[in-house]
Amino acid sequence: MSAAPLLETRALTVRAAGRALVDRLDWRVHAGERWCVIGRNGAGKSLVLRALAGLSVPERAGEVLWQGRPQQDWPVGAAASTRALMPQQAQDRFALTVERTLALSQLVESTARGRASELMSALDIAALAARRADQLSGGERQRVALAQCAMQGATLMLLDEPVSFQDPAHQQLVGRWLADGAAGEHAWIASAHDPSWIARVATHVLALFGDGRWQAGTVAEILSAPVLEHTYGCAWRSVEGAWIPA
Amino acid sequence: MHARDPAVLRIALLALATAMVAALALGLGSGGWDWQLIVTLRAPRVAAAAGVGSLLALAGLALQVLLRNPLADPYVLGHSTGASVGALTALLLGAQIWLGAAAGALVAGLALLWLARPALAAADDASPRLILLGAMLASVFGAIATLMLALVPDQRLRGAIFWMVGDLSGADASLWNLAGAGLFVAWLWARGRSVDRLMLGADAAWLLGEPVRRLRLELLVFASLAVGLSVATSGSIGFVGLVVAQGWRLAGVLRTRELAVLSMLSGAALLMAADLLARLVVAPLELPVGAVMALIGAPCFIWFLAKGIK
Repeated sequence: MSAAPLLETRALTVRAAGRALVDRLDWRVHAGERWCVIGRNGAGKSLVLRALAGLSVPERAGEVLWQGRPQQDWPVGAAASTRALMPQQAQDRFALTVERTLALSQLVESTARGRASELMSALDIAALAARRADQLSGGERQRVALAQCAMQGATLMLLDEPVSFQDPAHQQLVGRWLADGAAGEHAWIASAHDPSWIARVATHVLALFGDGRWQAGTVAEILSAPVLEHTYGCAWRSVEGAWIPA
Repeated sequence: MHARDPAVLRIALLALATAMVAALALGLGSGGWDWQLIVTLRAPRVAAAAGVGSLLALAGLALQVLLRNPLADPYVLGHSTGASVGALTALLLGAQIWLGAAAGALVAGLALLWLARPALAAADDASPRLILLGAMLASVFGAIATLMLALVPDQRLRGAIFWMVGDLSGADASLWNLAGAGLFVAWLWARGRSVDRLMLGADAAWLLGEPVRRLRLELLVFASLAVGLSVATSGSIGFVGLVVAQGWRLAGVLRTRELAVLSMLSGAALLMAADLLARLVVAPLELPVGAVMALIGAPCFIWFLAKGIK
């Protein structure tokens, strides 16, 4: 295992319609870290995650490195073990079952079954195994997508809004699972909105201000009234460890 | 695939049923049970029907994954008409018919892929637009083919019309179709898991390490060659490609490997049966099998649409 960070960006710039959403992002994510990306709607969270995953983004500049090596230098097969992406929307066009969807998301076919049942019970989707993935509720499909992403077994998981459709109990469940999930050589980056939830599950936060500026740091550094206000454009107060918009 | 796997049983049963259809197709018809007749006349025709049916079913399977649309089919999307134009061009130029047909199918496929590019890249549901694009391409190619027919010298008109209407009566004893279908299945088997992953979406497959661009190109080339070969043998026959793979998917078969074998067998059985009908219904006259197939296939398509299957 090299000491290189799992992910590094050098002057990563993402634009939409000519406007810089994220300007010259220099950022490092190391093994064992759990990052949340915050920012208002349209601030570029999804585009940044796509760029980090190596997917095409309309306007981007700068460099992304996985384990110290530029992402474009990775062969497509080997890259699959460096990063996985959970997209915001699953694209189900065929009537695949949950079980089948998970099995296809495993890199090594032989160990798929055991890993899948482990993940399905951890994320409370075991009862859905034989159901069609395209006929689940939004929250259920989202947990299946999270399991799909984890099935890949990549060292870095990129999660685009993993809890946006979850009821409070499942937000807790997913949060606890994520908080335990970056042990050892793994790490994850998730876009999320609720500072209280983030404070419970993450170690670090990247705040995107939507005008190109950004700020990265530990949870304690970023989850503060001034930074949250700058991020969301509304005042925040902390009540007994919970963040409430004023 | 494990021996106790239901897939093995399904394949075995279907193989048996296909063999029975083949036996019926060989044994029945005007002239009755005459060994000489069976070997010299019916066997080549039944082999051609089996080959063409297999190829079309496999082409449908491949196009459905390629275009991420369970309703994709070489006939609906203009591949077959493209192949007809190619075949007619080859006929007028005196070139190899099957080569012209394959080239025509490939051009039609590339045109559709290029036109549908924005829809396929976007996450939104491209289904209705894709089918409409395909239908428009099919009518453009259909018009070109009709115009070309006007240029064909009179004595060759009968032969030229053959490429427009699916008809097995002129099919020769070539085993190319069956060989091509076998090769297609072998390729789908080898790439089975990758093709399965393509069903999750192009981005998802790429993130899982699949060479998506190459895979899609291979799917398109195989589908086009299959359509070209089948059109060169029998003219354009619709709906086999649509009904077969889609039917097995609805029945719960989702693995490409199993789907490929089942599609080949049932495509063969379906067209052999349709051709048998075409020979028997108004015997001793014969109907063009393309029309018989459309009479079975179009109501199926309407049923799929009415059931709201994307």
